[in-house]
Amino acid sequence: MSALAPADEAEIAQAIGEARARATPLLLAGRATKDGILRPVQAETTLSLKNHAGVTLYAPNELILSARAGTPLAEIEALVAGAGQQIIAEPPDLAALLGETEGAQTLGGVVACNLSGPRRITAGAMRDHVMGLRAVNGAGEIIRAGGRVLKNVTGLDLCKLLTGSFGTLAAITEITLKVLPAAETTATLVLPGLDAQRGVAALAQALGAPFGVSAAAWLPRAQAARVGELAGFAASVALVRIEDFRPSVLYRGERLRALLSEFGAAEILDEAPSRAVWRAVRDAAPLGPVGGHDAVWRVSVRPSAGPGIVAVAEGLGGRCFLDWGGGLAWITAEASAETHRAITEAARAAGGVWWLMRAPAALRASLDVVPAEPAPLAAIARRVKAAFDPAFILNPGRIHVGL
Amino acid sequence: MIDLPDPKPTTLAARERIIAGLRALLPEGGVIAEALRLKPYETDGLSAYRQVPLAVALPETTEQVASVLRFCHENGVRVVPRGAGTSLSGGALPLADAVVIGLMRMNRILAIDYADRLAVVQPGVTNIGITEAVRGAGFFYAPDPSSQLACMIGGNVNMNSGGAHCLKYGVTANNLLGLKIVTIEGEVIEIGGAHLDAAGYDWLGLLTGSEGQLAIVTEVTVRILRSPEGARAMLAAFRSNEIAGACVDAIITSGIIPVALEFMDRPAIHACEAFAHAGYPLDAEAMLIIEVEGSIAEQDDLLARIKEICARFDPISLKISQSAEESAAIWKGRKGAFGAVGRISPDYLCMDGTIPTGRLPDVLRRIGEMSDSYGLKVANIFHAGDGNLHPLIMFDANDPESFHRAEAFGADILKLCVEVGGCLTGEHGVGVEKRDLMTAQFTAVELDQQRRIKTAFDPDWLLNTAKVFPLTAALAPAMPRAA
Amino acid sequence: MQTHFTPEQLRDPETAVANQILRTCVHCGFCTATCPTFVLLGDELDSPRGRIYLIKDMLESGRPASEAVVRHVDRCLSCLACMTTCPSGVHYMHLVDHARAHIEETYRRPWHDRALRALLARVLPHPQLFRAALVAARLARPFRFLLAGKSVLAKRLAAMLAMAPARLPAPSPIERPRAHPAAGPRRQRVALLAGCAQQVLDPEINAATIRLLTRLGVEVVVAKGAGCCGALTHHMGKHDDAMAAARANIAAWSREIEAGGLDAVIINASGCGTTVKDYGFMFRNEPEPWRTRAARISEIALDISEFLTRIGYRPTREPPGLTVAYHAACSLQHGQKITGEPKALLRAAGFTVVEPAEGHLCCGSAGTYNLMQPDIAARLRTRKLANIAATGADLIAAGNIGCLTQLAGDTLPVAHTVALLDWMAGGPEPAAVAKAAPRRDAKAS
Repeated sequence: MSALAPADEAEIAQAIGEARARATPLLLAGRATKDGILRPVQAETTLSLKNHAGVTLYAPNELILSARAGTPLAEIEALVAGAGQQIIAEPPDLAALLGETEGAQTLGGVVACNLSGPRRITAGAMRDHVMGLRAVNGAGEIIRAGGRVLKNVTGLDLCKLLTGSFGTLAAITEITLKVLPAAETTATLVLPGLDAQRGVAALAQALGAPFGVSAAAWLPRAQAARVGELAGFAASVALVRIEDFRPSVLYRGERLRALLSEFGAAEILDEAPSRAVWRAVRDAAPLGPVGGHDAVWRVSVRPSAGPGIVAVAEGLGGRCFLDWGGGLAWITAEASAETHRAITEAARAAGGVWWLMRAPAALRASLDVVPAEPAPLAAIARRVKAAFDPAFILNPGRIHVGL
Repeated sequence: MIDLPDPKPTTLAARERIIAGLRALLPEGGVIAEALRLKPYETDGLSAYRQVPLAVALPETTEQVASVLRFCHENGVRVVPRGAGTSLSGGALPLADAVVIGLMRMNRILAIDYADRLAVVQPGVTNIGITEAVRGAGFFYAPDPSSQLACMIGGNVNMNSGGAHCLKYGVTANNLLGLKIVTIEGEVIEIGGAHLDAAGYDWLGLLTGSEGQLAIVTEVTVRILRSPEGARAMLAAFRSNEIAGACVDAIITSGIIPVALEFMDRPAIHACEAFAHAGYPLDAEAMLIIEVEGSIAEQDDLLARIKEICARFDPISLKISQSAEESAAIWKGRKGAFGAVGRISPDYLCMDGTIPTGRLPDVLRRIGEMSDSYGLKVANIFHAGDGNLHPLIMFDANDPESFHRAEAFGADILKLCVEVGGCLTGEHGVGVEKRDLMTAQFTAVELDQQRRIKTAFDPDWLLNTAKVFPLTAALAPAMPRAA
Repeated sequence: MQTHFTPEQLRDPETAVANQILRTCVHCGFCTATCPTFVLLGDELDSPRGRIYLIKDMLESGRPASEAVVRHVDRCLSCLACMTTCPSGVHYMHLVDHARAHIEETYRRPWHDRALRALLARVLPHPQLFRAALVAARLARPFRFLLAGKSVLAKRLAAMLAMAPARLPAPSPIERPRAHPAAGPRRQRVALLAGCAQQVLDPEINAATIRLLTRLGVEVVVAKGAGCCGALTHHMGKHDDAMAAARANIAAWSREIEAGGLDAVIINASGCGTTVKDYGFMFRNEPEPWRTRAARISEIALDISEFLTRIGYRPTREPPGLTVAYHAACSLQHGQKITGEPKALLRAAGFTVVEPAEGHLCCGSAGTYNLMQPDIAARLRTRKLANIAATGADLIAAGNIGCLTQLAGDTLPVAHTVALLDWMAGGPEPAAVAKAAPRRDAKAS
């Protein structure tokens, strides 16, 4: 294994160009905190972008921030917080879940994996806020997409295609994000004692109300017990978050409490506990520690199908909770082809998708870590891959075998 | 007139056979082929460019779309998709050897699901039609282009349409869950569905805004949102563009994101007022329409904060709407702005660039200078929160020389947008109009990268040829290098 | 939009107006979505923008109308929803009227088409003939099965038979020329357009109008010599017939203006109102005194709902507990831009007023459209009735006889707005109310 960690874009382009010339596969990484997600890559050489770091533009009045891919996310979060702003999609730090170093992840990694937190349900995913990027394709060519403006439909939207492509199309070198003002304050309604079905019904009611709910999750009793601020309820909890100016948060909290009264008496957590709770949900902390023989899945379905996924996960002896109004299930269970089949079949039956987020490498290499695509689309995917990476050297096999 | 590729002689020679073949695939009345009846299909919302197509096909189902595409693919016939024909960039401009596939007959709403907050619609449903269908339950579909009354969701997907409220709610791409598409080979593929996020490549994101280059959309799953308790607009009028621009900055940095933040310059104010009678201040150089949402108390709170900020910029007037009717009138002026300019000028070109918001005063000053040197009037409308600028260049289409000046003026404005860090189009798409300007924004390498993606979907370049990409190379697409 | 008329063509004043209208259009396409035929047929050619394009091509080329132009212009309802939508102020009505006249001059229709148009143009504007025709149609109804064919002719004849009411109201003497004095002190003096087809189909509308107005202190004159407003023939492109009808009205009302003064010309069939309000334009090139007289008539022409709003209306009965679906006639909402007044009056009268979805879409009546284009008219009718049914109303109110006839029959009872207003102000109960009451009572229990 050799490792390259160039500090500028031209060197990255050169490294990729050379790898292409020699047809040598490359494992693209930032600080390598997410290598455990999806399939393992067979590559002799690691190309790390961790040294290509730094914020290159921040214009709070234009809601725009640009940073190189290797910039630690925490650094960016601190910078924008200083101007009263935030990264909209609230990306998680899954280091604990994945057994990696917390606080190390880079902006490039979060974008390449399109990881979003609880606010995704109402404010969009990372992919929705990548306004521009620079990247080096598999031919070693530097390409730009999008721009440094908030609205742009000039040509094909490569920002969206590259976001979440797990480095299989190009090495993203610099990213321009839309940022937004952080809310003045936040609060969370807690409805204890609802089963998954009733809990998701309550979340649907809240999300369908005109009160600007910004996140909605449901945790079974055992998972709630793992979050300090929720342990006292000693019950499953449906969580509804409001973020806004103080008068709005107070007003909407009361309106929601009244609206949801058929689901029982809601307790309202104020700012500090609310932040702690959603940070835990964001990072999938309620799943608890994941052992070496366990796997972790992320399943996205229509919200009303969430409880069905919970039932399947619990039937497998796994642990599970729901974010995104019921539409995102975090599951941990025994790492085996059987559990994988059961979970993915449930996801497919519900019309949804899955990501195998953690599992022993051998297992990851032998499974559909995301759903297989129908044949005509898989053929297009192969041609698109070739359009970026003609020698198939960038993160080969990271998402699908042979891609 | 714009350059269009030479028609394929083989296609023109086979015209009768192609029309007969299409007729066999579609119900009676589904194919238009007589010269006189093809004429109204020769153009869209950009009527300066015209070309009568070979034929028009009006399918009613996904299967019919698939059979027409399969037939066209087998016969090497170019295809131009069309919805309501409201594109301002000539996105639906036909070619002499192309079959226009009109999706206007696919105008049904297939499903509405309030629990999961989505609707499944056919491409010919109008943008406002979705909102109208869910309004009774208190929901709406968020992107609201000015043409929302007429423009169809299929076109919105292909152009990734925005609107005045996308500062808060995002553009089309941010409000979609799934698509049903038909490839040029006639394969029907479902993308996404009722869930969030793609596992694998974000095809939904790539297809949105792809201007008919990759596939034809026959079904769309959109997110629907609960309407806020209420919304109210205010007007703030200022003595100069610079002052109004500074006020926009101050509002945004204060932490308030209004649901809409629209800027109009003096000519735009006058044109719209003549149409809407909304009480726009005719003595102002620049005007902002600022809208907030929430309960009455929340609106009052936000409007008071905004009013206090505006007051620091020596406004000529600040007027908070007192009723839903007043707010509607304020928006009627803005939404009818393009047509309203049609009242003061026989023709106009509506440009659509984006700029970093901080550069607005500078850009408007330079547009003013160009207006003088070209001798053409221009009215500017600007989505101030997100940097999307719409200069409306007025000209007289019966005077060819005036049209050529307007075209050149428009190109200069867009180059200026790119020069200050912006881009060629914010929400109208490249279409045919800005095709040849793409080189101002992208390098040859970047354009080739995009072209190769098109080739991956449409190897023979039959779909909406001669749009988006500069003409010469579009007809000799760079093929993917050895894979 | 760019046009290609020669200077010679533009010397013709009619062409010059058409050019002006075409130049106003920026081809934005906003009109397409609100056009009923585009919504149903999904073809640019059946949208206002498509028709404008076809008309432009026809006029520019100076050629006779082609079959294609005729087909698509004929499908236009003249509902004018496009004019409400158009942000550029394109006067589609004048353009399509001009196109229809051009078609009438230059295109030879199939024999049955010509015969039918001639028949309608001859019969409908004349109450005695129309009445006789309806009696004949009633007698023919049992033989409808003979018209089971799919030909246009068969469908049109079937539509005509369907239109004939099963029970024809007795002729009413109320339309005879005379002045109906105000009850109490006279506040205003108006002329009422007694109309043509309406007085045969439902004489109660004029009767209710006169009762209500005289009760409010208005002297109502039915002027000698006034008759059909000319709209029926105007929309068929029969320019001379339309002008003759309009001229007769202008003459009759001008005499009344000279004799005793008129505060308004009242129209209670909004299709007619749109035309009377356009007399000024129709006579713009006529010699004086007609030009001035026509303009004067158009100035004082008012829909009954506008006039009632102006002089004030108050009910005398207790609210009836009825929910009325207000159907906005195109000629009112689009042609005359009257939207709020009828609803406000009905509410003031004590009715609960609901509005169906797609209120901007035509019901398919559109003058003689339901006879000439029975398929499209029937589809629009079904769609309209479904939208109205979804409101849960007890009855339908509208301000135009065409819509009332079109929507009557198999679902909710229909009434003219003025009949309901008259009832609540002391007039007799309209027949529709008796039919609606069981619905209301069923809902209440």
